[in-house]
Amino acid sequence: MSVRCVGIVGGGTMGQGIAIACAAAGLDVLLRDRDEAGNVRALEGIGETLDQDIAKWRRTTGERKAILARIRTVAAIEALEAAQLVVEAVSEDLELKTGIFQQLDACCPPNDILATNASALSVTEIAARTMRPDRVVGLHFLHPVPVVPLVEVVRGLRTSDETFAHAMEFVRVLGKTGIEVFESPGYVTTRVILPFLNEAAHVVMEGVASAKDVDASVRLGFGLPFGPLTLADRMGLDQLLRWMQHLFHETGEARYRPCPLIRKMVRAGHLGVKSGRGFFEYDADGLPRHDLKAGARS
Amino acid sequence: MKVLVLNCGSSSLKFQLIETDEQKIARDEDVALARGIVDNIGSEAVLKVDLPSRGTTLRETAEVLDHKAAVSRALELLTRPEAGVLADPAEIGAVGHRVVHGGERFHASVLIDDEVLRAIESCFDIAPLHNPPNVKGYRAAREALPAAPQAAVFDTSFHQTLAPEAYLYGLPYVLYERHGIRRYGFHGTSHRYVSARLARHVGREGDPALRVVTCHLGNGCSITAIRGGRSVDTSMGFTPLEGLLMGTRSGDLDAAAALHVMRKEELGEREAQALLNKHSGLLGLSGVSNDMRALLEAEAQGNPRAKLAIDVFCYRLRKYVGAYAAALGGLDALAFAGGIGENAAAIRERALHGLEGLGLRVDPERNAAANGVEARISPEGAPVAVAVIPTNEELLIARDAYRLVAGLPLA
Repeated sequence: MSVRCVGIVGGGTMGQGIAIACAAAGLDVLLRDRDEAGNVRALEGIGETLDQDIAKWRRTTGERKAILARIRTVAAIEALEAAQLVVEAVSEDLELKTGIFQQLDACCPPNDILATNASALSVTEIAARTMRPDRVVGLHFLHPVPVVPLVEVVRGLRTSDETFAHAMEFVRVLGKTGIEVFESPGYVTTRVILPFLNEAAHVVMEGVASAKDVDASVRLGFGLPFGPLTLADRMGLDQLLRWMQHLFHETGEARYRPCPLIRKMVRAGHLGVKSGRGFFEYDADGLPRHDLKAGARS
Repeated sequence: MKVLVLNCGSSSLKFQLIETDEQKIARDEDVALARGIVDNIGSEAVLKVDLPSRGTTLRETAEVLDHKAAVSRALELLTRPEAGVLADPAEIGAVGHRVVHGGERFHASVLIDDEVLRAIESCFDIAPLHNPPNVKGYRAAREALPAAPQAAVFDTSFHQTLAPEAYLYGLPYVLYERHGIRRYGFHGTSHRYVSARLARHVGREGDPALRVVTCHLGNGCSITAIRGGRSVDTSMGFTPLEGLLMGTRSGDLDAAAALHVMRKEELGEREAQALLNKHSGLLGLSGVSNDMRALLEAEAQGNPRAKLAIDVFCYRLRKYVGAYAAALGGLDALAFAGGIGENAAAIRERALHGLEGLGLRVDPERNAAANGVEARISPEGAPVAVAVIPTNEELLIARDAYRLVAGLPLA
């Protein structure tokens, strides 16, 4: 099976990013948000992202035109039957997701692959509510989708080898690297990065070092592009807290217990870049108010 | 012999059907029976075939999903009775493929066999954008025309005569040995064709001492110094980015400037590649267009950035002409080719302005009159003959394919 047309359910940030990545790889895209207003917003968002890409020399105006020509919004979910692979990218709500999967299961040809961009919910659980659990797979794209070259291809308990192979091939066509992940809370990326951010918050809370020095030490000591607290601010501390709670709850392991400082900051409304203040302060454009890349003691 | 010439890009297939043989080559009577393009492969494609002998064009759209389908559609169009150029695909005696990169292995055109195919594929690493679609085109044609021999004509092979002092960069030598980092040069088929025509134009065909410079100025631009029909130096390098200013490519650039921009603008490799190849050159400098016609118009209306872009373009070209006169130890003839070279008289004049000391002079009247046709534009008795020579890469590809199939030596 070669994928020529991709269906996408959900026109939020992730859905838009997946649409751009697919269209840029030459695939036709059918995009559906919950209503007409959502569809219009999704196309506007895609247009804005492409404009930013042009300003950053990532794409040309010709490429923008070609990408937009390949993306079409549809009103009814049934229209996605024309796609060979459908990616669901709605918010993390089990009832919402399973409802969509049941609709897709009913309208899409039985051979089509149904993929979920779920980052926390269980692929196995979503698949179990369809008639084709072997053809359901997780495709965990990371934000911003057109830029991040990685996709976690997540096997639910009943995902078939064939479905997994097709999903890996699809990721390759998008020009990205797929890694095989057997379903588990946080997959690989989230599970590895979160305790790192959480530990950095502990270091600050205990007064071992300032936020700026924690970031500088990791950045300069290990050659990473930015430090863990900058990353936490960008991710959103509320999001980080939710994630830690989810891992803690799912696994019961103390190492996933959220750092109390993060909880306190979220309660104070210090959510990171989006609220203008987290471990660091940000201006209206989301740029740090202080030069974090200068020497640690400047 | 009817030869099908294919030029496969990532999402397009350009093709020509050319009738050629030894007599026709000798009399310059081999011409294209049809010229076509399948554009936007992978989706709803646009197909177009010009039929010069009938003065008509066939045009349609169809879903063409891959290069294999594109070749079948092209053959289907050519064999239609209303096209009148081909009764049966079996009439095609050879297929000639434009292949961008032949690395150091190919010094001339060759018939493609499994070993040649492997060698072309081994160049994917240094020509990731161009060679893969070329190979797709070959596979598609082999399937559609199993009886027709297929030839590869490389953009790089003409420049394989460059000496190490011309093709090496001042980098650690181990990078050349390990990764093949060197100057290869491109547009070789065009420079070979134009320099041969130019030699004939000045009545010195086959003269081993003839020193010429050929300027291929299209959306991509390159300039080549040629002695006795052999390329001595050329402006494009490891990739087609080096050298002259182009429509959207920067041409020569201090590599440290690129690295500095990457750091300042937080660009990754992909963004930096796009910046240098697609957002720079005439387009980037002018902010107006990558099309020289539009720039000349904007300049005439007083747009200062359009003028600036054209000035940089002409100055860079002039500098290279001077450098190549030095590389050749003097100059006997110079030719302009490509869309800009063949049609923009103002650019030809401005680029050579001030080079009278090297014997380069342009006759304003002759220059203004030469548009898209072979013509001398230097005044009578000028020390260096300057001419417009329209390029025809497809014709040369067809001739090479024919000669390889007929067992004749390549010209």
